[in-house]
Amino acid sequence: MSTEQIGLWAGFVFTLMIFSYVLGDNFLYRIAVYVFVGLTAGFITVVTVESLLLPWVNGTLLAANTDIGTRAVGLVPFILGALLLLKASPRLGRLGNIAIAFIIGVGTAVALVGAITGTLLPLIATTSSGVRVDVVNGFLIFLGVSSTLIYFWYLGRRTPIGEVRRGLAARVVGVVGQGFIVITLGAIYAGAILTSLTIFSERISFILARITGG
Amino acid sequence: MSRLGAAFTTALVIVVGILTVLGLAVGEGLGNLSLIVQTRGLPVITDLFLQVVVVTIATTVIIGIINLLSVHISRITQRKGGWVYSVILVVSALAVMVITLLERAGVLTGRPSLSAILLETVQISIESALAGLVLFALVYGAFRLMRRRVTWWAMLFTLILIILLLGALPLPAVNGLASIRNWLLAVPVSAGARGILLGIALATVVAGVRILIGQDRSYRE
Repeated sequence: MSTEQIGLWAGFVFTLMIFSYVLGDNFLYRIAVYVFVGLTAGFITVVTVESLLLPWVNGTLLAANTDIGTRAVGLVPFILGALLLLKASPRLGRLGNIAIAFIIGVGTAVALVGAITGTLLPLIATTSSGVRVDVVNGFLIFLGVSSTLIYFWYLGRRTPIGEVRRGLAARVVGVVGQGFIVITLGAIYAGAILTSLTIFSERISFILARITGG
Repeated sequence: MSRLGAAFTTALVIVVGILTVLGLAVGEGLGNLSLIVQTRGLPVITDLFLQVVVVTIATTVIIGIINLLSVHISRITQRKGGWVYSVILVVSALAVMVITLLERAGVLTGRPSLSAILLETVQISIESALAGLVLFALVYGAFRLMRRRVTWWAMLFTLILIILLLGALPLPAVNGLASIRNWLLAVPVSAGARGILLGIALATVVAGVRILIGQDRSYRE
């Protein structure tokens, strides 16, 4: 039996162990899950070291004919990583804020530019141009998008008895938006069921193929 | 001293964030702003910032995995409940690392490689089985939704769910449902999804701007 065949049989056994969860939580399911977590941790380590850490170290700290500045820059991520570790200490935890601040600064900028150029501008452009292509459906899409946004609009007025209420127009349009959100979530749920059904049937056919030798 | 440290972290977020935004967003054709960004080498600085953040996060991932292994090794040495599962986890993780190391060192030379077999036949098999198992939870969740409390929204949700599932069947008897399904996906679902995505993007912009102008400083806690 080749190594590949052994791997396929191992996959068969682990699939059955995972599916045993249908009968309730049991030790076979747990063994498979712990193997999964262990393998994932191993593969993440390998990919992180080979694809990120080693190229960075080779390009900065261990690079031939490089100046002291590049080597110093090469140390920065490891110093930031060490500072993050200090967050666990009550006395030195504040030093970890420097690393957090750097990551949040860059992360916020990336998220901001990504949200504007990747989501806001393209979606606004396609929604507004949709009305020109098909008036009825385009208008329905425009109504759906705007009412969904109004549903998430939480501004309101305080009434004399102290409770905060949204205006009548915002409430009515918000109900329409809620309808669009429910339809969308229903569609996402149906998509999730169809996806898991497809994967489940693929696993069942894999099990049958192993048993029948196909 | 602590105030000075807090001011320093806020200043760091603002400076690093604004430099990164300028380096990422300002391209050609913006007149003097483009000229300033290009001549000051901001795209290069932004690229360096991104690399540093990626490698820092990679370092923290490795620290996290070392922590995971050390927690399980301590469970094994102290013979705590479920220590056998910890042995399985540690052995699986170390097996992948050692096998990959031996392959890179040229000791294991089989084709396809043992690490690829482990990934494709064991890892992906378990992943797929777990994803397939989600089916039971999803169907049970939909069943529970109607059993607990029947509301108009729950009925609309279930109706859409049934139409979309039946419409996906490749049967001539449900051809009518298939066209309703296509319209639902193209118009109301598309509108709702766009609304939700736009809401998330607007919230991201608001939160991002608040952080970059120093209004939101919750990261200092």
